[in-house]
Parts: sequence; C-alpha cells; structure tokens
Amino acid sequence: MKFRALALYAALTVAGSAAAATKPKVQPAPPPVPYAGAYQPQGVDEIGLWREADENERKLANSPLLIRDEKLNAYVRQALCNAVGTDRCASVRIYLVRFPVFNASMTPNGTMEVFSGLLLRVRSEAELGAVLGHEFGHFEKRHTLQQYKAARKGTDLMSWAAVLTSMAGTQGAYGSFDNLQLSVLGGLARFGRDQEREADLIGLGYLNGSTLRPGAASRVWRNLILEREASASERGLRKPDFDRVAFFASHPADGERADYLFALAAPDGDTRDDGADRYTVALAPWLPTFLDDQIKLNDFGGSDFIITRLAETGWTAPLWRARGDLYRGRGNQRDLMNAADYYGKAVALDPSLPEAQRGLGLSLFKTGRQVEGKAALQRYLSLRPDAPDATMISMLVQKDAK
Amino acid sequence: MRANRIHVLPIALATAILFTSAGAIANSYRPKAQPAKIADSPLTVTPARDWNKLSVAVGKNTETWTLDGEELNDVTFFAGIEPGKPLIREVSKKRKPLPKFTKETLLVEVPELVEGTYRAGKDIATFNVTGAKPDKFLGREGIRFTFEYIDNDALPRRGEGRAALANGLLYMAVFAAPKLNYYDRTIGDFHTLSDSAQLNQTT
Repeated sequence: MKFRALALYAALTVAGSAAAATKPKVQPAPPPVPYAGAYQPQGVDEIGLWREADENERKLANSPLLIRDEKLNAYVRQALCNAVGTDRCASVRIYLVRFPVFNASMTPNGTMEVFSGLLLRVRSEAELGAVLGHEFGHFEKRHTLQQYKAARKGTDLMSWAAVLTSMAGTQGAYGSFDNLQLSVLGGLARFGRDQEREADLIGLGYLNGSTLRPGAASRVWRNLILEREASASERGLRKPDFDRVAFFASHPADGERADYLFALAAPDGDTRDDGADRYTVALAPWLPTFLDDQIKLNDFGGSDFIITRLAETGWTAPLWRARGDLYRGRGNQRDLMNAADYYGKAVALDPSLPEAQRGLGLSLFKTGRQVEGKAALQRYLSLRPDAPDATMISMLVQKDAK
Repeated sequence: MRANRIHVLPIALATAILFTSAGAIANSYRPKAQPAKIADSPLTVTPARDWNKLSVAVGKNTETWTLDGEELNDVTFFAGIEPGKPLIREVSKKRKPLPKFTKETLLVEVPELVEGTYRAGKDIATFNVTGAKPDKFLGREGIRFTFEYIDNDALPRRGEGRAALANGLLYMAVFAAPKLNYYDRTIGDFHTLSDSAQLNQTT
C-alpha cells in the first residue's frame, strides 16, 4: 500500500507541475507579456544547461551541414522578428541546417536550428513565423530547464522506490514499483506534451500580436497531415491516425494541434498578409536543391504531394523538373512516360534548364525515342559543357548515332 | 514469477552479446596475391596487398572490405544486383523503401542510384556526384564516378565507384573514406584492387 501511495504521489508531482497546461478551446491566444530583456541563467542547473548548449552551439557553428547563404539566413531571421517582435528576436542565433526533415529546435541559450526540410514544407512567411514562434516560446518559458528538473525529480523517485522495493522484496512491492515506473515515465511524457501545448499557445500569442496571419499555424499541421497521408497511401500502409496520442508521445497529436491552433488564432487576423510571395521569392534559389534532397529520400507519395502543393500557385520549370526526377527515379515504364512528359513541360517553360534537358533525354532514351532523346542530351551538353557526367552523356549520344 | 522475469533479461543480454561477438570474430582476412571470390558470384579480385573482409554484408550479393576500419576506408562490392532489387538491404520494404536497379537503368544513371541509396538509407541531404566518365570495368564498357557526402557524423567523405553491366546484372565496386587523411592515403589501393576485378566467363 505504501508503494501505491508513493506511485500516486509521483504521478501527481510530475503531472502537477504541468498544471500550467493550457485549455486552448475557445479564446484566441493572449498577446505576449512585455519582453523582460536579455536573460542570464540562474542557479547551478540552468548555468550547466547553458554551458552545454554553448558547447554544442560552437560545434554547430562549424558544421559542414550549415547553409551559410546570407540572404536566406537574413530572411529567416526577418520572419522570426516579424513573428515575435524585434526585441525578442535579438536574443536568438539562427542556424539553417541542410537536413531533409520537417523540424526546428531551440536550446536554452538561444540557439535556433531550422532544418531545410521545414523550409521546403512551409508555404508562407506566416507559416514559418508560426513554427519559429513556437520554438521561441519554449525558449522564453525555459522549458528545457523545467523538463530537466521534472526528469530528475521523476528518476530520483524511481531510484528510491527501487531501493525500497528490493528491501521489501514482496510481490506486492514489485507490482507497485511497476505502477510507479509507468506513472512517472508517462507523467514525464505528458509533461513534455503540455510544454508543447504551452509553446503553441505562446507562439500563437506572438502571431496574434504581429502583422502576420495567425491562421497559418494551423495550416502547417494540416499540410503535414495531408503529406503523411499521401506518403502512407503510396506505400500501401494504413492511414495514420492523427488524433491518437501514444502513452510516451513527446508531442500532442497532429490532428489535435491543427484544431486548437485554429481556435487560438485571432479571428480578425484572417485579413492580414501571410507573406507567401515574399517567402516564395526568398526560397526560390534553394528550392531545386531542397526538392532534390526530398526526392532522393525515396518517399514517392510525400514528395509528389509537396511538389503538387508548391505548384498550386502555378507550375514552374523547376517544379516540373522535380516531378520528372521523382518519376524517373521510381523508374516503372509508366513512370518514364510521365517523366518524359513532365520534363517536356519544364523544357517548354525554360529551355535553358540543363537538368530538365538531361532528364528529358534519358527518359526518352529509355522509352525507345532515342533520336529525340539524343537531341535533348545534346542540348544538355551545350548548356553545361562542363557537367560532371559530360563525357558519359556524350558517349551515350555518340553510341546511339552509330 | 517476478524473480524469474528479472533473470530473463540478463540471460537474453548475455546471449545477444555472445552472438554479436561471434559475428565480429568472423571478420576475415584476404591475403595478397590470392584471388578471392566475391559473395559466391563470378566476380573475383586479386588483392595486391592484404585486406580485411567484414562479416557484415550490406545486402544480398555484396561484400565489404576495409584496410583500417569500416568508417575509415571501405570498398563495397556489388556482385550482380538483379533488376528490381535495391543495392543494399532495406530496413523496411514498406516504410523505408530504397531505390531499385531496373532493367532500364542506364550506366550513366548508376551514380544517381548510388546517391539515392546513400541518401535514403542514411537520411542525409548532402551528397554530390562530382564526376562520371566512361571507363572499362571487368573488361567491359563501364563507368567510373566520384562523389562526396557528409554522413550523420558530420565528417565529410569522398568516394569513387566503378560499375559495369554484365548479363543484365549490375557489378560495381564503391570506395568511400573521410576526406581527411584516409581518402588520399588509400584511394590508390582501391584503384589497384578494382583493376584486378574479373568476371569469370564460365558462368
């Protein structure tokens, strides 16, 4: 019985400290409190965490994976400043990491990592600002420290309980220990989810008070859900359940987030600018690269979804080319016919795009239209005489000519 | 009941460790000047110096050799990849499929296949094919290509591959090593080794 009480106590302690959990049902998120200014770590735990974060930031700053394009970096910073305000964003260093996964993160010392997979997926400055604002919310509320303390409290409790259990040595004690362990670990996971909800609330508060459209936050998650559905259906997997929360899940379910973020957005914000045009212009130089990174992950459904979504505002040569690459990469006969068609459209829009000519040539070649294929490959060679595979391609052209 | 359950884990662990170390011991040695058959295929190489062969194979019909260690310099032989098959074993056919070699794959597309396999298999974004030119391999028309990539350990690596098609199957040798020190030091050994590769004509 003693242990059952302990278990209950543990569950309450851990979950209780998460009582700040929000109830984001009806009201739009309140505007943020005035910014308190630059913050310095206090107490041994926080100072330690900051030191670790400083160390990791030093490594990150020298990483070969960083995208160092000044223009793009400046734009992402501007998006953060537009979302959270200039005073707040001055405390953050942003690092763009070339990693084809949807994610961004923030450490206690103000290091923000933004993955290229996120930049590929958001459609507007407001959507980018929503994700970055959420991350800033974690930072401003010092969530890492709270999580660290909660984890320590929980694991301390488990260690003591393990000692007491082995001293008692009865079957009942072991049973209680199992319950306690589940309560503590489940409580920690729930604590993490509550922190995510709090960061969502704060992030939306920034957006509501900004010049950007707050409804964008919900759109991010809706698009992600649609992409995952497209990916799963192409792979013949069961449709994922976006409302179910696993016991140890670190984040709230995507469906739940999309819903409450929608409710948190200020209703009068819908008329505001979402900065989609600015975003498209800023991302344009990198879009072919990020698309290529995504396509080569071999997630056909997800990649096709991303490309067609990007094309909603109009197909461009790089988008047709990307779709051609995607289909040629899968390589079924029907895919090759489609690929040739897509490359053809890319070439029609921009005949000077060498990769599209190459793809067109290879796809035609493989579907038996060698004369046309050869002509396209020759155009590729004249557009990029110094291409890394120039000799290989010219051999293909000449061989066919014999 | 409870006590039994507690003891099961260490036994399972010990068994696992036993099997793992047994696997590790099976790394073997490929002495110089002795022709070695690759993955029971018609492909043979005659090393000019001693090499290590790793017991772990990345896929069917493959064999990995190294001089200093797997992540420091490794040569992976792909000895007859059939159409419709990926280069390396898929972790999950459904959830994480890899690009496939197909009947229609052209030699010039082989670097793209290697790139796709590396990227999808390792979840990395930085991979560039830096060169590709026609070159004989196994006495046939083949391709020699070079590439660079950054693995998840953030260490820039460089690599070279040589491939040829024979009887509709893909034969390839791919070398990869960190740019720092190892690539330049051992690329020559890869050239000598891959030059010695032959395809047994009797099969």
